[in-house]
Amino acid sequence: MTLFRVVGRPLVLPLALCVVLSGPVIADDGWFEDFDVSFNGFVRAEIAGSTSGEENPNNQGGNLQNNQNASRQSFLPPALNPLSGVGSLLGLGGVGAWGTTPLPFADTVRRGDFVKSTSNDFNYAVVRTEIEMNMQFNYEWRFIARVRAMFDPEVYDAFDANDVAGFQGGLESGPHANSALYEGTPSYFDYLADQGGNPNPLEWTGSNYQVYFPTFLLEYASGDLSLRLGNQQIAWGQAIFFRVFDTPNGLDLRRHSLLDRGLEEFSDKRVPMLSLRATYQLNSDILLDAYVGRFQPSVFGNPNTPYNIIPSQFTVHDTYESGGYDDKISGGFRLKGDYGQFGWQASFVSRYATEGTFAWTKSGVNKPLSGLVGSVINTAYNAKLPANSVACPIYNSATCRLYGDSGEAMANSSFSVNPGGVYSADEWFQYAALARLDAIGGLNAAVNEFDGARDIYASVAGNVSESVAELNTFFIAAGGSLRGHIERTYHRENDFALGASYVNESDNNFLNQLIFNLEIQYTPERTFTNPTLSRQAIKEDEYTVAIVVDKWHRFSESLPGTYIVFQALTKNRSDLVGRHLSGYGRVGLDSLSPGDTTTLKDAKTGNASYIVFGFLQPTANKIFEIELATLIDLDGGILFQPGVRWNPGRGLTVEAFYNHIDGNVWGDNPNTNMISSLDFADELSLRVTMQF
Amino acid sequence: MIIKKYDHNYGRRQLLKNMAVGAAAGVLMPLDKLFAAGADLAKAYPDEIMSIDMYTKGKINTGDYLTADNVDIVKELLDPIVFDQIKTMGRRIKIRPTTTDFSVMFPAEFHAKTIENMNNGVTAIFDKQGNVITKDGKNWTGGLPFPSPKTGAEIQANLAMSWGRADYNQYAINDTVFNPDGTKAYDYEFIWAELQVQARLDGTVFRNMKDLLRFQTVYFTSTQDVAGSSFLSTWYYDQAKFPELYGYLPQFRRVRQFPTNQRFEPLIPGVTWFLSDPWAAGDPMLTWGDYKVIERKPMLGGFNAKWNGDDENWRAGTHGGPNGDTFWDTDYELSPEVAILESKPVGYPRAPVGRRLAYIDMRNNMYCGNIRFDRQDKPWVNFETNFGQYKLGDKVVLGPDGKSPAWSWINIHSFDAQTRRMSRAAHQKENKGGHKSEFSFDHDKAYSRFFTQQALQRLGQV
Repeated sequence: MTLFRVVGRPLVLPLALCVVLSGPVIADDGWFEDFDVSFNGFVRAEIAGSTSGEENPNNQGGNLQNNQNASRQSFLPPALNPLSGVGSLLGLGGVGAWGTTPLPFADTVRRGDFVKSTSNDFNYAVVRTEIEMNMQFNYEWRFIARVRAMFDPEVYDAFDANDVAGFQGGLESGPHANSALYEGTPSYFDYLADQGGNPNPLEWTGSNYQVYFPTFLLEYASGDLSLRLGNQQIAWGQAIFFRVFDTPNGLDLRRHSLLDRGLEEFSDKRVPMLSLRATYQLNSDILLDAYVGRFQPSVFGNPNTPYNIIPSQFTVHDTYESGGYDDKISGGFRLKGDYGQFGWQASFVSRYATEGTFAWTKSGVNKPLSGLVGSVINTAYNAKLPANSVACPIYNSATCRLYGDSGEAMANSSFSVNPGGVYSADEWFQYAALARLDAIGGLNAAVNEFDGARDIYASVAGNVSESVAELNTFFIAAGGSLRGHIERTYHRENDFALGASYVNESDNNFLNQLIFNLEIQYTPERTFTNPTLSRQAIKEDEYTVAIVVDKWHRFSESLPGTYIVFQALTKNRSDLVGRHLSGYGRVGLDSLSPGDTTTLKDAKTGNASYIVFGFLQPTANKIFEIELATLIDLDGGILFQPGVRWNPGRGLTVEAFYNHIDGNVWGDNPNTNMISSLDFADELSLRVTMQF
Repeated sequence: MIIKKYDHNYGRRQLLKNMAVGAAAGVLMPLDKLFAAGADLAKAYPDEIMSIDMYTKGKINTGDYLTADNVDIVKELLDPIVFDQIKTMGRRIKIRPTTTDFSVMFPAEFHAKTIENMNNGVTAIFDKQGNVITKDGKNWTGGLPFPSPKTGAEIQANLAMSWGRADYNQYAINDTVFNPDGTKAYDYEFIWAELQVQARLDGTVFRNMKDLLRFQTVYFTSTQDVAGSSFLSTWYYDQAKFPELYGYLPQFRRVRQFPTNQRFEPLIPGVTWFLSDPWAAGDPMLTWGDYKVIERKPMLGGFNAKWNGDDENWRAGTHGGPNGDTFWDTDYELSPEVAILESKPVGYPRAPVGRRLAYIDMRNNMYCGNIRFDRQDKPWVNFETNFGQYKLGDKVVLGPDGKSPAWSWINIHSFDAQTRRMSRAAHQKENKGGHKSEFSFDHDKAYSRFFTQQALQRLGQV
C-alpha cells in the first residue's frame, strides 16, 4: 500500500534552500549585521461533522438519482428512420423526430444498482501545519517562506471507481484527463491539468496530502518602496468576502471550500502566484500597488471530494497546460488615496479570469456502445459508408460515417461509454438544473458542435420529449450511462474598479464612526460559461457594485464593543461564483411538459444580489469571541454561520462554528439562488490549534 | 540635637492646602522655580516627605524591601492595587532614595525644551475647544505645556501632548499574560512606535502635517496567532477627534480601515489593557472629561526606576505570584508630591469604565500608574508603569541627542484586580526576529517604515 503519492515538482530545492540559509550565520558587521532568522507556526486539527444527513449530490455516492427508479424507452434515431432519415434520403419523404418510432427496448433503471450510495458522518477531517520562516538580512532585504502541509486521514465513505469496474468496462478518464482523479478513490488534494502536471508551482500533492509554499519570496524595501518577488498572495479592497477589487488571485476550494470561518475570509484560500509586486507610497495620502505575475487559476474540489461543486458525471479536461495558459501573464495596479474622513481607490487589472469557463469537448474515449440497442446502432454505423469516399462524396449522417467505428465516433463526441455518468433523462434534466445549465440546449450543443455525436445518429432535439427520447436511447445503448466531457479554458479580461470611502462622524452614538465603502467593478466583454456548455461562450459586459459598512458599537457596559460589518453586493450577469444568470431558474423533468422547448421556468430577470452581515463579540480579555457571519441571496438562500473561538492561552485555540445552509428559504425554485448549491453542507466544524 | 524646622505632618497638610487653593506644586517654594533654575528640587519640600526613612520614622528605610510583613506601615503611600499585590500575592519592592535632580527625570531634550520655553516665555493655554496652543495662538511647540500645572486638565495635557516625550520612540515589547492561577497564558511580542508630528522638540511640524499630532503603530511579531498584525493610528491635533485607524490582519492579507471609537476592547486575547490605558492618555484628551485633582500627597511609586542594563535584553528578574514570576523586580521611591488625577470617559456612551485615577509625580508630570474603575466604582485594572533613565553603572543607552542617557518606561504591570489576570510588559532591547527598540532614528525613515499604508502592508504577514 502506498501511503503517499507524490505529484509535482521536486520538493528538495526549496527545502534545502531553507535549511542552508537558516543555518548558523556568523556575521558581525556589513551586510549581515542585522541578520536574523525567526520561525513560527502551528499545528491544527480540523473536523466538520455533517448535521444534515445529506451527501453531496455532486458526488457519485450522493447522487439524487441513486435511489430513484427511472423509466427508459429507446427509440429509433431519426437518422435511421425510414421516413425521416434514410427514407428521406431515398426520396420517400416524411418527417421524424426523436420519440417517433419506439424500439422494443425499454427498462427501468435505478442508478444505485450501478453506483453505491455513501453515508458520511464527517464532511472534512484534516491535520494541518504551517511554518513561517522570516530571514532578515538587513532592513532592505528579507526572505520569507511559509510552508503549509495538510494530511487527510480519509475517514470518508467515498466513491471508488474500482467498484464500477464490472459495468461498461469500467470508468476511464480518457486521454485528456488525469486517471488519478477518476479511476480510483478520490484525490483530496491533487490539482492535475490535462497533461498531468500540477499548475501550482511550489506545491506537492498526493491523494491525501498537500505541501506547498503560499509564500516564498524575496523582498526589497527602500524608503517608500517595497518590492516582492516570488510566490505570494495579493489582496485588495475593503469588502470582505466580496471580491470587487480583490481580483489578482484565484481561490483554492480543495480543502474546506468556502465554508471556513466567514470572518477569516480567504486567509488560506487565495492561490499564490509567482509574481513581482511593487508597493510605493506616492505621498502621505496615496499608495500605489502594482503586480505582474504568472496566471494561476482557481482550484476546484476534485470529483467525489466532500465539497466538490462540479457534478461527477462530468470528466473535466483542464487545458491550463495544453492551452498554453501556463505562460500567460496577469498584471494590474491599484491607487488608494486617504484624506482623513474621505478616501478613494481605483484599479486596473488585465488578467485571465481565474475561474475559467467550461464547454463540451471531445471525450477521447474510444469505446463503442453496447447491449442490444447499442449493438443495433453499432451495426448500423458499421454499415455506413466512409465519408468523403467515392460512395459517399457528400456527407450525411444517415449513410456516411466519419470514423472507423462507433467507438471512434464516441471518442469524437463529448460523451464516453462509462459507468458513473448520467443514466437517465431524469438525471440529465435534474442535474442540468442543479448546475445552472440548460438541459435541452446542452444536448443540442453537444450534437451540433461535435461531428462524432451526429455521426452516431444523435440529432437536435426540439423539446423535452424529444430530448428525453434521445437521451434515454443513448443511455440504454451505452449499456448503462454516458459520461460528459467538458474542457476548462481561460479568457483574458480587463477589470476596472473604482471605490470611495467615508467615515461618518455624528453625535448619535450608533451613527458615529460608521465607515462606508462603495466599490464598483466594470469588466467589458467578460467571458462566461454558456449554460448549454456550447463552445461559444457568452461574452457580456458585467458590473459589480458593493457597499460595505463597518462599525464598532458597545451595546452594554458588561461586554466589550461589538465589531459589526454589513455588506451588500449586486452583479448584473453572473452569480457570486461566476455562473451566468441565464442558467438560473431551470427545473427538472417533474416540472416540465413534453412539449416544452425550454427548461427555464423561473428566469432570473434582475441582478444577483447578496447581503452579508457579520459581527464579532469578544468577552472580557478576549478569552472568548462569539461571532456570526451570514450570507443571504436575495432570491431565497441563506448561509448562517454562528461560531465561538476560545483562547485559553498556552498556545491553544479552539474554534467551533456551525454552517446552516438553506437554499430554499423563500421562493418556489431553489435554483434561482446561489446558496442552494451548497445546501447539503450543514455541518458543525471544530478546529483545535496549537501554535509554536 | 537636630531641631526640625517643620513638624512631621507639615508637608502633607500643606499639600492639602495647596490643592484646595489650586496652588502649583511644591511646599516650601514653587517647584517650577527650581526646575527653571536647574536647581535641586529638595528645596521645595520638607525633609519628611523627601525620605521614606524619615516619613516612617525609621520603620522602613531606603534599601529595604516592602513585603507583606511591613507594607501596612506605608499603606497610605501606595495605590490600593499595589498594596494588595504586596499584601496578598508575594510581591516585593525595593526602596530607593528619592531623586532630587530634575535632569534625570526626563529625556534630556524634553527637559531642555521645557526650560527653554520657560526662559523664553513660551507658555501654553487651552483654546475654546480645549486644545493646547501657545498663548499667541499657535499649536504647541514641544516640551511640557504646563510645567506648573494647577488644574487636572493641565496635568492631563502634559501627558497627552507627547507620550514618550521624544519626537520618535520605538519600543520592542514583551507582554507576558498570566492566568488567575499564575500560569503563563500568552507570551506576546510587539513593536510600538510613536512619531510626533507636532509638539516636537525640534520645533518643526513633520512634513508640514499641521492637522496631526502623532502617528502610532503597533506591530505584533509573536505569538504566531497574532504575528503580522499591525495597526496604524493617525492622531489629529484636535483632541476631540478620534484617530484614523488602519489595520493589517493576517486573515485579510491587506490593509483595511477600522472604526476607532471603541477604546475599551482587548486588542489581543488575554491582555488586561485597553488602548485607552497607556500613558494614562491612550485616548484623545477631549473624549474624556471632568479632569479633577482629588488629592495631592507623597506616594511611593516606580519613579526613576532601575533600568535593567545588566540583562542582555534589558529584562528585570521576576518574583511573586503563585509561581514566583508574576511581578517584575522593581524599585520604588518616595515622591514628595503626587497628584491623583480623576477623569471620566464622558465621550463614550456605555463605557465599562466609570472613572480613572492617574497617579502623577509632580516632579516630572509623569504617571506611575492609573487605575480604572468599573461602573460600580470597583477598582478594575491598574496600569502601573515604571519610568527611568537607561543608565546603570557604566552601561548606558543614549537618547536622541547621542550624548545623554535615554529616558523611557522600563516595565509595566497591568493587573486586573477583579479577575486576577496579569499582563506583565517589558521594554526590551530586541524582540525575537530582530525588531529593536530605538531612541535615535531618522524620522523620515521611521515614517516610511511604520507610518504609511505601504509600511503597514510590508509589516503584515505575507
